Amino acid sequence: MKILTTVKNVVDVELNIHVENGAIVEEGLQYVINAWDESAVETAVQLKENNNAETTLVSVGGGEDNTKMIRRGYAMGIESGIQIDDAALAEGDSFVYAKVLQKVYEKGDYDLVITGKQAQDTDNGQTGIILAEYLGLPCVSNVIAIEVIDDQHIKVSRLGDAGTEIVELELPAVVTVDVSINEPRLPQMRSIMMAKKKPIDVMDLAALGTSHDEIGGATLKSEVVEFMAPEKREGGQKFEGDAAEITAQVVGLLANEAKVL
Amino acid sequence: MAKVLVIADIKQGVLKGSTAELLSKAKAIGAETAVAAIGNNIESLIPSLATSGSDTQYVADDPGLELFSAGPYACCVVDAARQFGADMIWFGFSESGKAVAPRVAAQLDAACATDITDVMLEGDQIEVIRPAITNKVIQRVKVNAGQLVAVVRAGAFEATEGITGTENVVRLSPPAPDLKAVIKEIVSEASGEIDLADADVVISVGRGVKDQAGVALVKELADELEAGFGSSRAMVDAGFMPHYKQVGQTGKIVAPTLYMAIGISGAIQHLAGMKGSKVILAVNKDPEAPIFNVADYGIVGDLFEVVPILREEIKKIRSPAG
Repeated sequence: MKILTTVKNVVDVELNIHVENGAIVEEGLQYVINAWDESAVETAVQLKENNNAETTLVSVGGGEDNTKMIRRGYAMGIESGIQIDDAALAEGDSFVYAKVLQKVYEKGDYDLVITGKQAQDTDNGQTGIILAEYLGLPCVSNVIAIEVIDDQHIKVSRLGDAGTEIVELELPAVVTVDVSINEPRLPQMRSIMMAKKKPIDVMDLAALGTSHDEIGGATLKSEVVEFMAPEKREGGQKFEGDAAEITAQVVGLLANEAKVL
Repeated sequence: MAKVLVIADIKQGVLKGSTAELLSKAKAIGAETAVAAIGNNIESLIPSLATSGSDTQYVADDPGLELFSAGPYACCVVDAARQFGADMIWFGFSESGKAVAPRVAAQLDAACATDITDVMLEGDQIEVIRPAITNKVIQRVKVNAGQLVAVVRAGAFEATEGITGTENVVRLSPPAPDLKAVIKEIVSEASGEIDLADADVVISVGRGVKDQAGVALVKELADELEAGFGSSRAMVDAGFMPHYKQVGQTGKIVAPTLYMAIGISGAIQHLAGMKGSKVILAVNKDPEAPIFNVADYGIVGDLFEVVPILREEIKKIRSPAG
């Protein structure tokens, strides 16, 4: 089974993010592997270890940060990496990324695509699903478990509205995973060192056999025109002291001041 | 006049309140409204679909739609959208909506926006507001494609009182089943429980409740208040609470009238899922816990001591005579 998995390098959400004049202030931002993609990589590596799958990791975007994401995947156990690096990818939406991934998929002979269910920078949760539509492949999103049935079939569990949905998928297929599917491994120092020496297949859009126009880069379906700081929710009253006393006081406030009891 | 197609939020045969909220918003921005209802044995919901504020009801009622499957659901939505000539297609906040919306957008070559909190319409130009980066920024997004598929964040819109519609039912043909993604079963641990999404009061537990006994203590309070019972990610990962109860960035987004965070420190991923609540009460023994930065009322104390008192005090207030 050949697996293609994807990785996006995203802003570290644990740090403060400032907005000025409708834009995010770049200074002080740090970039990390998207948590959902890290789970996707771990899922792929586990399938390699337990089911003899072959694994490829692709990042869409240039620069050293993206190279680092691939190296991180290598250190976790991924076998080969592709980096799509092109200045034309500076502006993109989920549809553009899905088009690029479609081209990557079509260059290989993959049985399964695993992506994170969303990226923590945009929180869109669309790319994997749109990719499946473009490829005409079956797709299940928000997956929390994968079981290989045979060469042509997998069984996945998805967190749905009415409970855990159990779906049998015919391969090739696309799944998008939730972080709760696994606990991604921390690579050992030795693997990290080895990963630095491994080659990465770097390609621009032309090498991938496509163009800025074809991927829809010039005709974005939507674009962010302004960033704003969220309305700050202020902390209210904090009570310390005798538990019986302060709890009674707070219940009184919930009933009479907030009127929610 | 812009046309908005709202996808009815039907869970276990019940039409959820978000449907009327979305239709109210659509009317408020001056749009012509229609609703698409997809499921099995949903005939009885048709009158309430109309009174929720829709002027046309596209109904796909078929045994093949009993269990959720994104492919066939998307087919029904696309069919309804084409027949209606929808400029916008709105889903209420749900896992099924999040799974279907991008498919519909790809098939219609429309734009797609998830988690929107507002929508503006000026002439033909559509813009939406949505949070991103785990709620650390708000985006204003301009739609360039003529059409938008959107998933609306829970609690974003309010239902207008006295809203009306007209009954005008259009039957959709049942879609072909997805033979390559076959839904086998839905394992539900939640039957009979209060849905976190509609509860007026939600009570969630975090690491501070420690174990099953701690969970049980807080659950008694939740049961008495007929509250939804949620969880932080830590308690889910530790195996004390099921996945579907997780409130936060990667779980359920809730916006109840009252949210009680019991033993929850308040990681930003959790805050992203409950910050829209009207009133927040936090109980935590650490006075520096970040949850207090968003709580309207904070009790610094040992939850094992506080929760039983909370129950007694609430009981007293609710039944002053007894």
